[in-house]
Amino acid sequence: MRRPPFLVVALSLGATLFASLPIGYLAIRFIEGLDKALDEVFRLRTLELLGNTGLLVLSVSISAFVIGFSQAWLTTRSNIRFASVFAVLAALPLAIPSYVMALGYISVFPTFSGFFASWLVLTLATSPYVFLAVTASLVRVDTAGEEVARSLGFGRLSVLRKITWPQVAPAATASVLLVALYTLSEFGAIAILRYDTFTRAIFNAYRGSFDRTAAAALAIVLLLITLLVIWLERRYRGANISSSRALGKRVRIDLGNWSWLALPILALVAALGVGLPIVSLIIWSILGGSSINWDQLLEALWGSFSLAGLAGVIIGIFATAIAFWAFRYRTKLGAFIETLSWATHALPAIVVGLALVFFGANITPWIYQTTWLLLIGYLILFLPNALAAISSPVARVPRSLEDLSQSLGTPANRTLFKIVLPIAMPGIIAGMALVSLTVLKELPATLLLRPTEVDTLATRLWTATETLSYSQAAPYAMLLIMLAGLPALALNAQARRAISEVREK
Amino acid sequence: MTQLFKKLSLKKTLAISVIALVGVSLSGCSPADQDLQDSTLTIYSGRNENLVQQVIDDFTAETGIAVEVRYAGGAELAAQILEEGQNSPADIFFSQDAGALGSLSKAGLLKAIPQELLDLVPSTYSAQDGNWVGISGRIRVLNYNPEKVTELPNSVFDLAGPQWQGRIGIAPTNASFQSFVTAMRVIEGEEKTLDWLKAMKTNAVLFEKNGAILEAVETGVVDAGLINHYYWYAKGKEVGMENMKSRITQFKDQDVGNLINVAGVGMVNDSASAKRFVEYLLSQSAQEYFASQTSEYPLIAGVPQVISLPALEEVPAPKIDLSDLDSLSETLDLIREAGLI
Repeated sequence: MRRPPFLVVALSLGATLFASLPIGYLAIRFIEGLDKALDEVFRLRTLELLGNTGLLVLSVSISAFVIGFSQAWLTTRSNIRFASVFAVLAALPLAIPSYVMALGYISVFPTFSGFFASWLVLTLATSPYVFLAVTASLVRVDTAGEEVARSLGFGRLSVLRKITWPQVAPAATASVLLVALYTLSEFGAIAILRYDTFTRAIFNAYRGSFDRTAAAALAIVLLLITLLVIWLERRYRGANISSSRALGKRVRIDLGNWSWLALPILALVAALGVGLPIVSLIIWSILGGSSINWDQLLEALWGSFSLAGLAGVIIGIFATAIAFWAFRYRTKLGAFIETLSWATHALPAIVVGLALVFFGANITPWIYQTTWLLLIGYLILFLPNALAAISSPVARVPRSLEDLSQSLGTPANRTLFKIVLPIAMPGIIAGMALVSLTVLKELPATLLLRPTEVDTLATRLWTATETLSYSQAAPYAMLLIMLAGLPALALNAQARRAISEVREK
Repeated sequence: MTQLFKKLSLKKTLAISVIALVGVSLSGCSPADQDLQDSTLTIYSGRNENLVQQVIDDFTAETGIAVEVRYAGGAELAAQILEEGQNSPADIFFSQDAGALGSLSKAGLLKAIPQELLDLVPSTYSAQDGNWVGISGRIRVLNYNPEKVTELPNSVFDLAGPQWQGRIGIAPTNASFQSFVTAMRVIEGEEKTLDWLKAMKTNAVLFEKNGAILEAVETGVVDAGLINHYYWYAKGKEVGMENMKSRITQFKDQDVGNLINVAGVGMVNDSASAKRFVEYLLSQSAQEYFASQTSEYPLIAGVPQVISLPALEEVPAPKIDLSDLDSLSETLDLIREAGLI
């Protein structure tokens, strides 16, 4: 029996400890006011919220999957024109915080609200997760198998379903899980677009009545829903297929007349997800004449940049450790830890924030309101974003390489760091980038946990939009999108690099 | 374009980020912070930085007391102080509304405001138990589009009529709306309030914030809305009063729709500098600031209001003590029962 290195175990258990903090906090609040908490759970409204939330999560997951998958397939496997431009446009909404997107829509269409509005904005905001994950796996698909199936007389669709899909499935379902959990925990856009979900009800329980018991009760229900969603994903995930990078010459499938359908659709999605929000930002900055406070802007830029960079690297390291344990050793404990770190992902940021306020102020005051506690908050919230990106690359490294290295006398642990780590590195870096850009956009936990008087672009944006000073908000929103755009575009470039490598051969 | 971004490799981006690592750890965790804590006043402010930073800077300039301000939503900060309990680093909680202050007072986390400071403000605008004091006043108004609303309603209850269907904007999750509904409940009774809320379910378009309602009335999305008065003045300052398409007005005869509410402060820690800060907020110059800059009602005697609305004592407001507005959970039950949140 092989045993994972100490460092891997220590980091994984550390992450688990952090991830269990909000659960512990909720348990304390729930038990403290047990009667009231049970009343809160067993009422008609819970059912109503359940229906609303379920409807939104299901519909956003499906539409984000369809859009993200189509964008990925069209831009990597078909001969569609402007493929690389459309790929950039498909990745870019990742850089736009969903509350900015929602505000953009509201300022153009003031009555835009309710289910349809929330569905549209969240679909546009989350489909890049699917797009990037599927692109990264599609370019690795072994095309030789596809050609064999074609020559045996299978149609294009059945090749896609039987040969291509199983190779893409693990990354694709993990990204859909991210989308589902994102939708469960989303507050900003949902509040602006006024659709009632669990997360909004939890925020309102704090805001309206300072009722921590009611909020905890609802959050526990949310946690149970999350576990159900994770269980569903585990069931249908499929195994990661070990393969070296596919070297078969890529055949670009001729769309023929279909391109007249595909092109306008891609353009429409890009216009809705990137065009409209950016145009409304430009309108904001033109409308108001307020001058920019450069000191504040630079300070916020530095705050955002440093926090996001730091969080990306740290969370990436924790996620790599967990992925090593769960996918290279395949122990039950490793798998459990991986599941637990996903479980807290759908908790609203305010719950994670208050849990850390509670423990931080009362048990570890020396890190309270320092960067470290804020980073722990980000770790709890965004570990799954890194795991989604890192798991597949770590799992895909062929076992045979490890066996070979060990047969040459290298110790198992050294093999892990010398062989598996370098091969999985591009995926690990992608995970770090994904976390960084998500941290850039985060607001509720940042407001609760940041060191006093440290500002980020997101908190400055909040200050401005709270008083509806859109002209003051515009430069912060623009800068935030540009800063988050860098990792988003780099992720896209990295995912697609394999395409050009293959073509040059 | 894509070529350019391929060159900007992830590795380089991350390398730069790691450099940032050092910077953050330095700025975030210097042990010197601990020593400063004794001399620095920490304010948790639920009031927006754009509205109150100036007055805080003036305080530091006048007293030499260094201040750290933590800005966030008022309710979130109240929840934060509740979680921090006795270990809260906050000295002062500066709140947008009386409800959040009341919840901290109930939890026993606020220290008594010195009597000589309470005496500066009419007693209706402070806590009965003396645990927080009102700093500036605001009133509920009807914001309306004069082209679409020609006959002004006499009472907020008139808005329940069928002629208002789909025309009125409200913000049921907003604290100031909830305070107003609480006042309605206390004065008019549960039944009448529930009927009104149910009528709003049919008649009203729902918004998240007062500002969004004003925006909707300005752009013609709804014909009228229930907001706090100073939003209208703030918008007027941004775009120019002459460019405002909407107007504000009040209901008649001590209607509950004209509720007066306050922004106030409580002391989480009753240090000398915390008391000095409360004293400063109730000084002539700070009160003048709130009157002119945030278009609110000053609460101490001798400072004139700047806005064109009737003086606070002439507002046809309902007779109610603000401390009676702490029964928020019953209000929320009613709002929920009516299906508005």
